[in-house]
Amino acid sequence: MRALVAGLVAAALGANAGELPFARTESREPCAHYDPLRQPFFGDTHVHTGFSFDAWGQGTLAGPRDAYRFARGEATGMQPYGPDGRPQTRIQLRRPLDFAVVTDHSDLLGETQICQNPALLGYGSLVCRVVRRFPKLGYSLVNGYVYSSEHPTRYSFCGKDGAGCREAGRGPWREIQDAAEAYYDRSAACRFTTFVGYEWTGMPAGDNLHRNVIFRNAVAQAYPTTYIETPTPEGLWHALEAECLDAHNGCDVLAIPHNSNVSNGRMFTATRSDGAPLTADDARERARLETLVEVTQHKGDSECRGGAEDELCNYEKLTIPRMMDMASAGGRAPLPPNLYVREALGLGLVLGEQLGANPFRLGLIGSTDTHLAAPGMVDEDQFRGHAAGTVSARWGVPPYPDRPDFNPGGLAVLWAEENSRDALFDAMRRREAYGTSGPRITVRLFGGWSYPEDLCGDADFAQKGYAGGVPMGGDLPPAPGASFAQRAGGERRPSGLAAPRLAVWALRDPGTSGAPSAPLQRIQIVKGWARRGESHERVYDVAGDPHAGTDLDLATCTPAPGPAQLCRVWSDPDFDSAVPAFYYARVVENPSCRWNTWACNAHHVDCSRPGSVPGELRACCDASVPKSIQERAWTSPIWYTPPADRARIGR
Amino acid sequence: MSTRSTGWLLFAVLAAAAPLPAIGPFGGFVPAVHHLVLCAATAAVAVAEGTAGPVLPILGLLAVNAVAAFALCALAAWLLARALAPLPPRARAAIAGALCAALLAAAIAFPLYETPFGRNPTANLWGVLG
Repeated sequence: MRALVAGLVAAALGANAGELPFARTESREPCAHYDPLRQPFFGDTHVHTGFSFDAWGQGTLAGPRDAYRFARGEATGMQPYGPDGRPQTRIQLRRPLDFAVVTDHSDLLGETQICQNPALLGYGSLVCRVVRRFPKLGYSLVNGYVYSSEHPTRYSFCGKDGAGCREAGRGPWREIQDAAEAYYDRSAACRFTTFVGYEWTGMPAGDNLHRNVIFRNAVAQAYPTTYIETPTPEGLWHALEAECLDAHNGCDVLAIPHNSNVSNGRMFTATRSDGAPLTADDARERARLETLVEVTQHKGDSECRGGAEDELCNYEKLTIPRMMDMASAGGRAPLPPNLYVREALGLGLVLGEQLGANPFRLGLIGSTDTHLAAPGMVDEDQFRGHAAGTVSARWGVPPYPDRPDFNPGGLAVLWAEENSRDALFDAMRRREAYGTSGPRITVRLFGGWSYPEDLCGDADFAQKGYAGGVPMGGDLPPAPGASFAQRAGGERRPSGLAAPRLAVWALRDPGTSGAPSAPLQRIQIVKGWARRGESHERVYDVAGDPHAGTDLDLATCTPAPGPAQLCRVWSDPDFDSAVPAFYYARVVENPSCRWNTWACNAHHVDCSRPGSVPGELRACCDASVPKSIQERAWTSPIWYTPPADRARIGR
Repeated sequence: MSTRSTGWLLFAVLAAAAPLPAIGPFGGFVPAVHHLVLCAATAAVAVAEGTAGPVLPILGLLAVNAVAAFALCALAAWLLARALAPLPPRARAAIAGALCAALLAAAIAFPLYETPFGRNPTANLWGVLG
């Protein structure tokens, strides 16, 4: 029986005996620890170093090699720097990451070099002088001038057509690639994987449209695409196709949008940048290149709209609709539609019905967006700030490290056979990925039609999960007995199919000896569906207890006890086989202390004596700032497509 | 020293050395002259490179800061000069000179200024004007 299941799994994963289920596009030793049932690898796909203008502008001097050393678990230095140029602070992860991607801003890559290197033409320019003399003013002026403009241009010191700055950017781009190569473990140990990457930093009118671009292997674009020269997402995708995917040189690439929560609703739209309606080709192009979305990071949560029926959406929310509003004192501007990933997933179903192609088939990951070259520094008690917002770490991390509405960010988790670039990249492409808000929660999600109720107790959970359906990120296979003849007289009618079954299993983060993580509280299934051109959503508690584990001692930051693992085979009670749907799992921990509580406790803030609270820690006593957090994991969705739609799109 | 001269002297020293708060998200305490320098630097960048993105709002904010800071210095100088007006010219000059010397000495000796735009978090007069 076991052999039969293993055979089915191999078939499901597309592997024959002795054949890898992913294409090996590089030369390297096979990994000694290879698991056909895949393993979770924890990493950070969003990391800035001193090559990014905004990071350098706030005092970060660490480079890509420092970032990779840090990710591997080594201690590295950070600002402030002494007169001798040595960092005055050391930072270190409690646990190394499995992979990391340095994604410095492609925009201003050359300008950043020019403004700090007297040997380069332009060093003495007015802009560079202002940047050096008044770093924060320069940071605000230059960042805004380039990133926030509808019609971005390069500064005059860049020379004709910006050639001087592009030329100056070649050095750091080479170093980003060399650092990725130097720290990629090509030995059989497969301890650490790096990817070549960058961030395209489009922010027209202050609306965030940023994408992290990640290459499969060492073959990358000759020069990263910039918002300045290519100011639309469509332009970015065309460039990635022309200069990578269609270059026939082994190049392969993905783009990962992030911070839709401050996109003013422009990250996920039914139109192109020029206002024209999306076509099926547009949708397919986007879905080909953008298989993942960053659902959480320093600048808040992008999963779902706060204040909705789903109370767990009131989590790490920014109250501003645009990235540029961060510079202002805040406020309560109305939030436009389609700011959040769940809304995009729903819109994708609607567009999928209309166009025959879903542009928003997005898997979910988390990352940090660190500007301290500190990938994976996600523990609440270790938060050192974003270092590229309104709070500067230039002279050292303030006692209250950042804006109250920022957070330490999350992690990307990839289910892959081994820790190699090809295996991890394939996981990103097929969306077998999930995000966490920081803890290393392990989550499996499978969707099928016939999982037995007792699968949770089965030692072969994963084997049977793969054999009987698809993992997170996949499309539910056609139901047994499904018919394509679903339309009659223009009306759709349910076919009477059995409901799909989702098998979800979660294991708590074991933490470390000095920093245990919180137990699990519950697993939820989030369902979205589209009917008559409108999307809908519903959240189901499927395992655990939403009322358990809520007692948190804020003085000691000790979470309440709870289960180490949860599991459930769940069948959708409201399934309608005639409407497209998606399902993803959200795993929630018991409440634990938020970073501000750790910081305020560390400084012994006593809010009962307001006069004793220093000004820089006044936010400790702001009742509107949450003191606790429910850390969580979000899986990538599994999609259901009705038989009639399947026939129409030829799936 | 005439009352008018006293007022001008006090205004000049206050503008050069009195730490005044910056309005807006950037914060800090710097002399009015520094507010003016920031405004001038931003204006120069705007003229040379254009006003794309938030350059104009930043310039406006810095201009408001500069105007407000100088207005505050002018008001303080006028009030002080009025207060010293009844005194004989020599006494008036001596007190005004002492006030100015004390402020300048403190500004040179101590890091009176918080410089959010500068290369250091705090600075004395040389640091903020240098």
